[in-house]
Order: sequence, then structure tokens, then C-alpha cells
Amino acid sequence: MIELIDNFIQLVVTTTGCLLAGALFFKNHKQPFFLLACFYGVYTLGTLYWTLHLLLFNETPPVFYVSDLAWIASYIFLLALLYNMRVLEHDHKTPLCWLALIFCIPQFILYITHGEVFYNIAMCVPTMLIGWLGIEGLVFNLETPGEKDSVLFYISVLCFVALEYCLWTASCFWMGDTLINPYFWFDILLSVSMLSLLPGLKKAVTK
Amino acid sequence: MTYIENIFMCMVAPLIMAMLCLGKKQRRIFFFCIAGMGMCLLSAYINTFFAHLYVANSLNATTQIAPVVEEIMKLLPLLFYLVVFQPESKQFQIAAVVVGASFATFENVCYLTQNGAEEFLFLLIRGFGTGAMHVVCGAGYGYWIKYVWENRGLRGVCLFGLLCLVITYHAIYNLLVSMGGILQYIAYFIPIFTVICGWVGYLISQRRR
Repeated sequence: MIELIDNFIQLVVTTTGCLLAGALFFKNHKQPFFLLACFYGVYTLGTLYWTLHLLLFNETPPVFYVSDLAWIASYIFLLALLYNMRVLEHDHKTPLCWLALIFCIPQFILYITHGEVFYNIAMCVPTMLIGWLGIEGLVFNLETPGEKDSVLFYISVLCFVALEYCLWTASCFWMGDTLINPYFWFDILLSVSMLSLLPGLKKAVTK
Repeated sequence: MTYIENIFMCMVAPLIMAMLCLGKKQRRIFFFCIAGMGMCLLSAYINTFFAHLYVANSLNATTQIAPVVEEIMKLLPLLFYLVVFQPESKQFQIAAVVVGASFATFENVCYLTQNGAEEFLFLLIRGFGTGAMHVVCGAGYGYWIKYVWENRGLRGVCLFGLLCLVITYHAIYNLLVSMGGILQYIAYFIPIFTVICGWVGYLISQRRR
């Protein structure tokens, strides 16, 4: 029950984000809004398929990774968005980017001891790169005077990555469909961080 | 047993004859028609293979394996066209829609051969529903990729992302269809509704210009 409520909240957030980002794209014709709309849209469909399967068959999809493909695609769209902004804004490099790998790699090793190697590579590599580019963009914006418009966006991106990893780590240790399971707290916070991506990007792009 | 190879030969033969009678530009459309039907034929074999590999029952094969296999197979001729011929965005869009439509046509013919053609109303809804779903998936590539067409790297990334999007859309459709009853009919109307929304959006954008 809690999982269904949690998935429903996430569906509402991502659908709203997709529609608003799509509307902003058709109004401004700026590519970052297109990529963000694709991120939200693909994430929505992945969560919708997962939720429908759970609702109709009382089990998560047992055979193949349909929802997971959608979520991986959403990470790739977000990565493309960050790369696009990097090309437009800066070519800044900082050693602080290695924090992304320090945070992600130990957890990645934990995941491959619990699950499949190839699947975890497909999930963790894009998110590590998102973390890397997020830290790079945030440091550039904080260090450069007059370039503070993108700070909210990069903070939202880093929160998204951090919460995804907390979610996956929690799923390795806690099971159960109750509110005591920290997986659901992280998932609801993840929905909040996804919602904050859009106003952050709007401020960054329409400066 | 449904002899889908024989059905394929009967459907493709007139198209090949027509190709021989037409000019280069028109032959492209017929090529993608044949490619779409060929991909449908190959998808049937590959679906069966993966269903045996994963020991999946028919429900799991329909809702989880078939969407992935079919959408990847539909993309293959388009990828070949993109990489080898480097078409314009509009030409790619047409090719994507034709592949999707011909895939759906072949699938519908095989369905009729297996299940008969007696129930007119059900077949009308199913025909339009399945047809619209495959056309939406094909049109999805062609329509959305034009926004990143100029940037090759972004085009490649978006193509993968769109593949995953249409796989999930197709999987949701198959999931609802497999439930039967009212959900099945809702599933058949979802692609038709998507086409109507897309058409309305296109008209609005044309009026704004």
C-alpha cells in the first residue's frame, strides 16, 4: 500500500514536470527544456508501468527490465542536459568532482554484491557522471561572480543523485511495505528533488 | 499453426512488383513497408526464443519481452537508413511512420489468420488500437528527434532515450490489453487518443506560425 502511494506521488510529480517543461519548450524553444521534458516523461512511463504491474498482478515485473530501461534512459537525458549546459556555460574543471566517485563507487560495489553486475553498471555509471557534471557546474557557479542563476538547478541535480543512491542502499538492507522502511522516505524526498529541477532550470536558462 | 512466412511472401510479393515499376524516390516507401513486415516476422521468432530462454509464460512474454524485442526490431531499419543514407529529418519521419504502420498491418493479418475475422466491432477497435500504437511508436522517433537533429551526439543519445520511451509505452499497452475486459478496451483507445492529441498539437503549432 505504501509503495503504491509513494509511486502515485512520484507519478503526479513527474507528469506535472513533463507537462510544464514541455510547455516551456514550446514557448521558448530552448533545448534544455526539451531534454528535461524527456527526462520527466520517460521517468513517468517507467514508474507508471511498474505501478500498473504491481496494482494488476500484485508483483513487480519478474522477467525483464522494462521500467529499468526507462529509468536508465531518463538518467541519460539528464546527463545530456547537464552536458549541454556545460558546453553552453563553461569548460570548468575542479578536483571536487572526484567526490562524486568517492560517494558512488563504494555503494556500487555493495550493489554488485547484492544484484547483477551489468544492470548495476547501467544504473550507476550515468548517475556517477551526472554527479560529476553537477559538482563541476555548481563549483563554477559558486566561484564565478555574477553566475549564480544555475546554483539551484545544480543543487537539485546533486540531491537527486544522492537520494537515488540512498534509495538503492536502503533497498539492500530493508524490506517491507511499511513507513518504517527508509526506502520510502528517500523515494518521497526524491520526488521533491525532481520537482525542484524545473524551477532551477528555468532560472538557469531564462537569465 | 500459422504459417507466417507464407503470409509474409503473399503480402510482400505485390509490393516488390510495385517497386520494380516505380522510380527511385517512390521505391523508398515500399522498401520500408517490406522492412516493417520483415521485422514483424523476425520479432515473432526472437520473442519465442527469449520466452524460452527466460522460461516466461505467455503473459510475461507479452508484457515484458515482446515490447522490447519489437521496438528494437522496428528501430533497426531506421538506424540503417540513418547511418548509411544520412537522410533529412522529414524523410526519417516518413520512414519511421511507414515501418510502424506496416509492422502493425502484418501483425493484424497474422492475428486474423490465427483467430478468425468474425467479430467486426472487436476487430475494428483492435485494428485501429494496435495500428495507432505502432504508428505512435514510429512517429515518436520521427517527431521528437527533429528537435535535436542538428547535433549528432545528442541525436544518438535521444534515439536511445526515445527507444526506451516507446518500449515502455508499448509495454503499458500490452499490460492493459492482457488484462481483458474494460482495461483492454481502454488500452485500445490510448494510442488513438495519443494520435488525436498529437494531431491537435500539430494544428495548434501550424496556426501559431
